[in-house]
Amino acid sequence: MKQLTPLAQDYIGRFDTALQSLPGHDNPGITALRKSGLETFSKLDFPNHRIEEWRFTNLNALTKGITDDVLAEPIARSEAFDAHIIFTLVNGQIDLGNSVLDNLPEGMRLTSLATELAKGRTELLETEAAENRSVVALNTAFMEDGFVLELDENVKVDAPILIRFVSNGGSPTNARHLRNIVHLGAGAEATLVEEHVSNGGHAYFSNPMTKISLEEGAKLHHYRLQNESKTAFHLSMVDCDIKDGAFYDNFTLSLGARLSRNEISADILGSGATCALNGAYLMRDKQHCDTTTLTRHLVPENDSRQIYKGVLDGESRGIFQGKIHIAEDAQQVAGDQLSKALLLSDRATVACKPELEIYADDVKCSHGATSGELDEDALFYMQSRGIQEDEARKILITAFLTDVIDEIETEAVRTYFAKIATDWLEGV
Amino acid sequence: MLEIKDLHAEVGGKEILKGLNLTINAGEIHAIMGPNGAGKSTLSYVLAGRDGYEVTKGSVLYKGQDLLDFSPDERANMGIFLAFQYPVEIPGVASATFFKTAYNAQRKYRGEQEVDAMEFLKLIREKTNELGIKDDMLKRPVNVGFSGGEKKRNEVLQMALLEPDLMLLDETDSGLDIDALKIAADGVNRLRSPERAGLVITHYQRLLDYIVPDFVHVLADGRIVKSGDKSLALELEEKGYTEMSAA
Repeated sequence: MKQLTPLAQDYIGRFDTALQSLPGHDNPGITALRKSGLETFSKLDFPNHRIEEWRFTNLNALTKGITDDVLAEPIARSEAFDAHIIFTLVNGQIDLGNSVLDNLPEGMRLTSLATELAKGRTELLETEAAENRSVVALNTAFMEDGFVLELDENVKVDAPILIRFVSNGGSPTNARHLRNIVHLGAGAEATLVEEHVSNGGHAYFSNPMTKISLEEGAKLHHYRLQNESKTAFHLSMVDCDIKDGAFYDNFTLSLGARLSRNEISADILGSGATCALNGAYLMRDKQHCDTTTLTRHLVPENDSRQIYKGVLDGESRGIFQGKIHIAEDAQQVAGDQLSKALLLSDRATVACKPELEIYADDVKCSHGATSGELDEDALFYMQSRGIQEDEARKILITAFLTDVIDEIETEAVRTYFAKIATDWLEGV
Repeated sequence: MLEIKDLHAEVGGKEILKGLNLTINAGEIHAIMGPNGAGKSTLSYVLAGRDGYEVTKGSVLYKGQDLLDFSPDERANMGIFLAFQYPVEIPGVASATFFKTAYNAQRKYRGEQEVDAMEFLKLIREKTNELGIKDDMLKRPVNVGFSGGEKKRNEVLQMALLEPDLMLLDETDSGLDIDALKIAADGVNRLRSPERAGLVITHYQRLLDYIVPDFVHVLADGRIVKSGDKSLALELEEKGYTEMSAA
C-alpha cells in the first residue's frame, strides 16, 4: 500500500488525543461521525493530481507538512463596511470580544457550532451523507468550531451578517477546520458576508466547510472574501441545497493564500429555484487559485448561472472547473457559465475546464471560457489622450472586473469588494 | 512647431517612411494626401508614439524638443492630439469617465487643479452643445457599439475638450457622411488659431473643402514627393495619385 503523505500521517497520529478536546467529544454520535470521517480520510489521503477533480491543483506543498510559522509582512486589510451583526472566530475559536451579537432580530440565531453541540444539538450534523471527498472527511474528523446561522420561516434580515475568520500566528497545529451551518426557513432572507483574513503573514491551513440549506422561497446572498496570508493554504467547501423557489447566490473574491481552492457544490432541488455562482480572483507572484463548482439540477424548471473572472499577474495560476449536471427528468432548465481570465504577465497561466453533463433533452445551457491579455490598442488609445500607462492598465483591469462585481446585489458589499480590488490593483 | 527631418521608420522590420521632411509652423494647417500604403498612418502613429513603429533614422522636433524621447502620454500632455482613423472600443469604461480621466491627467501634467465630476460635466456639456453632439454618448462605454460616424464625432469631441496645440487627423473623413464630415471639420476649425497647428491626413480631397489647408503635400512610398497650396489637392483629385507621384 502506498504510504500516506506526512501531513495525513500526522493527522491520523494525533486524532485520538485531539478527539478528547474537540466539540461534542462526550457525545457518542458525534464521536462516531468523526471516526468515520477519519476512516474515509485514512483511505483516501489528501487528493493528488491523479484524481480528475484535482488534476490542476497540487497539494504537495501542503501535505509535506506545514513547518514554518514565520511572521512575514502583515497583509494590508481594508476596513470592512459598517456591519451591525458580527461573528468573529480567531484561530478557529469564537472571539466574543470582537463579535456583535446583541440585538439579533427575532427568529434569527447566530451561535457557534461548539456551543450548539454542547447543548446536545447533534441533529445539526445528522444530515451528513457518506462522503467521498477526502478534504471534507478530514474536516468532519477534526472540525473544531464554526458558526451556525438559523432563520425561522419568513424572517427577513436586511443588514449584512458579517462572519470574520481571523488567523493569528502561534497556534500549535496551524490548521483550522471549521464547520459552518446555515439554515433558512421557508421565505427567510439574509445576506451573509464571510471574511477569511489573517493578522500577519504566517503559514497555516484554513479549511472551512459550510453547509447551507434553503427552504422553499428562501433567499440567501452569500459573499466571501478570501484574503488569507500569502503563505497560507485555503481549501474551502460550500455545499448548498436549494428548494422550490429559493434563491442562492455566491460571490467569492479571492486574493490571498499561497494556494487556495473554493469548491462549491449546489443541489437545486426545487422548481423556480435560482443558483448564481460568481467570483473574481486576483493573483500575483506564485499564487494558485482554484475555483471548482458543481451545479446539479435535479428537478425541472429552475436555472443557474455563473460568471468567474480572474486577473493573473507574476507567475500566478488560475483554475476554473465548472460542472453543470442536469438530471434525466430535469426538463426546462437553464444553465449558463462564463469564465474569463486576464493575464498580465507572460508567466501567468490559467486552466479552464467547463463540463456539461446533461441527461434531459429540453434544456438551455451555455458555457464560455476565454483568456487574454490587456488590449494593446486600448492602452495606446488611452495613452494618446494623456493617461499614463499604469493608470490606463488599471482602468482596463477595473473595466474587466466591473460586470462580475456588479453581480453583487448588496450595495455595501459591492462597494467594499470593489475597493479591495482597487487596492489590489495598486500593486500591479 | 513641428520639424520632421529625414524621417525613416519601420514597422515589423519593413521600412515604411523613407526620408520624410516636413515643417509645420504655428498657425498652419497642412494636409498630407497619398495613396494607400504610402505611409500616411505610419506617420501619425510615429508622431503619437505607438509601440512597434520604430524610427531608424532622422529626427522630429516638437516645440524645440526631441519628440521621440517622450512616451505617448507625455506627447499628449505636451499638446499633441491624434484623432484615430479607427477609434478603439473600450468595453466597461464609460465615455464620460474616460474623458474626465484624460482631461485631469493633462491638467495635472500642467500643474493645474484637477476638476471634479460636476465641473467636468458642465464643461463637457458646453462642448457637446457647441459641436451639436448628443450627450447620451457620454454614458455609453467608449466607442462600444458606436457607428463609424459616432466614433469620429467622439474623436472630435475629445479634441475639443483637450484643446491640443497640434492636431493630427488620421483619415478622419473615412466612413463619414456629409453631416458628420461637417461636424468633424467644425471641430477642427473652432480650434484653429495662430498658436495652434494641424496635420490632416486624408485620401480624398473632400475633407479639405471644409478644413481649408495652408499647405498640401503628396506622400508616396514614404516620402513627400510634392508640396503646394490647396489647389494641389484639387489637381490630385483630377489627375489621381499615380500620375502625380510620377511627376
